[in-house]
Amino acid sequence: MREPFKLFFSIFQERSKLKEYRNEGRRIFGTMCNNVPEEVIHALNAVPFRMFGNYGNTNLANSRIPSWTCNYARNVMEAGLRGDFDFLDGVVSATTDDTKIHLFSAYRFYMKPEFSYLVQFPYVRDEISERFFSKELERFAKHLSSFLSAEFDLERLSDSIKIYNKYRLLCSEFEKLRADEKPKIRADEFMALMLSSLSMLKEDFTSMAENLPEMLREHDGFSDYRLRIHLSGTDFYSLTLLRLIEESGMAVVSDDLCTSAGYFTGYVEGDGFDALAERYSGCTACVMTSSNTELSVEERLRFIRKKLRENEADAIVLLKDRGCEVCGHQCPWIVREIDAPVLVLDLDFPLSVEQYRTRMEAFVEAHGGG
Amino acid sequence: MENSWNPLGYKNLYRELFKKHLDRQNELLKKNRPVGWFFSFHPSELIYIFDVVPAFPEQYSAYCAARGSSVDLIDTSISSGYGHFLCDYFKTTIGMIEAPEKATPPLMPKPDFIISSRALCVAHHEMAEVFSRYYGIPKYTVNYPYWTTDSLKNPDELTKEAEWAEEVYVEYTIERLRGLVDFLSKIAGEVDEDRFMEVFRKSEKTSELLIKILNLMMSKPTPGSQREISDLVFIAFFVLGSDYALEFCENAYEIIKERVKRKEGVSEEKYRLLTFGIVPWHSLKIYQYCESMGANFPVNLYVNASVHKADSSNPYLSMVRRSMHFTNSSYEMLDGVVKTAKKAEIDGALLLENTGCRITSMIIRPLAERLNEDLGVQSLILEAPQCDPRVMPMERAKTQIDAFLESLS
Ligand code: SF4
Ligand code: SF4
Repeated sequence: MREPFKLFFSIFQERSKLKEYRNEGRRIFGTMCNNVPEEVIHALNAVPFRMFGNYGNTNLANSRIPSWTCNYARNVMEAGLRGDFDFLDGVVSATTDDTKIHLFSAYRFYMKPEFSYLVQFPYVRDEISERFFSKELERFAKHLSSFLSAEFDLERLSDSIKIYNKYRLLCSEFEKLRADEKPKIRADEFMALMLSSLSMLKEDFTSMAENLPEMLREHDGFSDYRLRIHLSGTDFYSLTLLRLIEESGMAVVSDDLCTSAGYFTGYVEGDGFDALAERYSGCTACVMTSSNTELSVEERLRFIRKKLRENEADAIVLLKDRGCEVCGHQCPWIVREIDAPVLVLDLDFPLSVEQYRTRMEAFVEAHGGG
Repeated sequence: MENSWNPLGYKNLYRELFKKHLDRQNELLKKNRPVGWFFSFHPSELIYIFDVVPAFPEQYSAYCAARGSSVDLIDTSISSGYGHFLCDYFKTTIGMIEAPEKATPPLMPKPDFIISSRALCVAHHEMAEVFSRYYGIPKYTVNYPYWTTDSLKNPDELTKEAEWAEEVYVEYTIERLRGLVDFLSKIAGEVDEDRFMEVFRKSEKTSELLIKILNLMMSKPTPGSQREISDLVFIAFFVLGSDYALEFCENAYEIIKERVKRKEGVSEEKYRLLTFGIVPWHSLKIYQYCESMGANFPVNLYVNASVHKADSSNPYLSMVRRSMHFTNSSYEMLDGVVKTAKKAEIDGALLLENTGCRITSMIIRPLAERLNEDLGVQSLILEAPQCDPRVMPMERAKTQIDAFLESLS
């Protein structure tokens, strides 16, 4: 990994920014889902931080929640039980899948955070549901502001929305750079950026990273690949596997991961809770919400097709965490319906990376050019 | 040491109930009435109000498990690329769709529409998406809230009547339920208001009887077997609102009432156990095995979760109330359950972890902890997917149960 990205990754690993915020007396709230409307937390001058654990073995967690649940959930639980999140003032999750709902419940039960909130998603986009969702976000804001003994200010919300939109715009620039004919960013570097952005305030991330695109544009880019791929999956964040993908001759040019494009795609158009509700219920990359006339899997397929087209990806690598319910239900549809070769990697954590190498190389051999 | 096993004798009542249910299905199918697929905790009354033909993936999968075809169906689903650790009901149903020749007849009729109601699990919503896509049929979603301490206060464990429920959530759910009525009207014809009320009145009476039966089950000695009580979920989930459900409950209530009056138990009672989790349909004998050893089950929390007090004077609120069960509430809300366990004077708990089901499996350890902390009661947790006998062979389960009962004595 190159230098600037190393720095970003260390912010994620060492939580250095969070420590700074803590020292400044800011309150920090852990989030368990990319669909938590962080602007609400941000508008209250608090810091949203996406919770991750990084344990190969999740023995403590396995004694509280089933060992067959997804890697993300077990790792959050493990990290919580080991005290890694003791610095948090509270946790927020969303009803986007059973794992996230019950992880939230289990976390609350065992860790007893001072504050917790579960954002209720409507799953449907119609007038009634959007109206409800807007009220739900307002309710969340009320609960959080009462916990923080602070007034919720709509003007501040508007500022936070701007900051988040600016962040999203910057991410889309990085996206373009990795989709270049000679990609300017490696997959692990891109993920390092994402993870760091989830561990610091967006305004700090943006000011640290805003010159990066220009610097990267001057770089020649990488041409040591034979296959351009779109990466599909959910709450995935293993840099080791990303490196292996690229070492096998693939370049990751786009994705729909909850930890990456599924998180930053989509702007908030306008102000206030209504606009926020529209954005968060309209994210199609992984959330179960869909319009009245379409299924969420169809929206996801459309999202993937668009990414393939825009970024000229030749194939898909699908990261199928064996415990992920979203992958479990949607994977066959992606394989069947997307008109591109798909390599499905059944991920069992802790990863024994080498077992995937042969399959990746064979995939590149079969579908990669020159 | 085995002692005699003396169930209530609901078997014939169930036979009669299923027969009437199937007769209704066949009659309506002949009339070309629309077919809908539904999931547990949906407002079953609407099936009878709109005269539609219901099919229930959960119930059908349980049937396949009891008849031994579910393993092949599950394997079919996994080889089609669906995840291993998903709900057994989903995998079994996918198997039926993809390899009907492997499924136990009669198969579920093809749906014309599907109702995705999340009052228990997002899995219902996830599977409704998949089924709806297979058949290219419309889907309507009712997303009930997942209740937390800040949105629901003191729901009764059986009636689900609560001291307070967040208005924003209740109102939204009611709006979605009204939308469901509109959706069904378009498919099955206009709603008849008299019929609407009549069905809800029946539902109310039936629900009261179900609650009474479950209360009587807590008598000493435990009057009935879980072999028969665990099937009450079929009534509470799927046919509440029908004539035959009411008839069943009237008879079932009389039987258990008499039994309690006579102070007669299902077996010579040595231990009183609480149970939770979906019964492994392939190994239904597990309860009978325990009861034959004198370990009876006055409380089955899964059955308790399935019932609610229907209210014909406020049908929409009553539909929302269905969702106020502890399996759809955050884990600090186990107080009601602990209260029930205390009232039933239990000595231990047999908890079933249904692999692939995040609902039952993730709440089990907090539940075991609460029972231990509050009542000093020990639990045996068995990993038992409800449709796949390979994970929990009956012989292994028996050994674990024997050791557990030994530890209680
Ligand atoms: S989307 Fe998948 S990986 Fe993410 S929390 Fe849900 S089950 Fe786990
Ligand atoms: S077994 Fe679990 S996941 Fe499956 S339908 Fe029932 S509650 Fe939902």
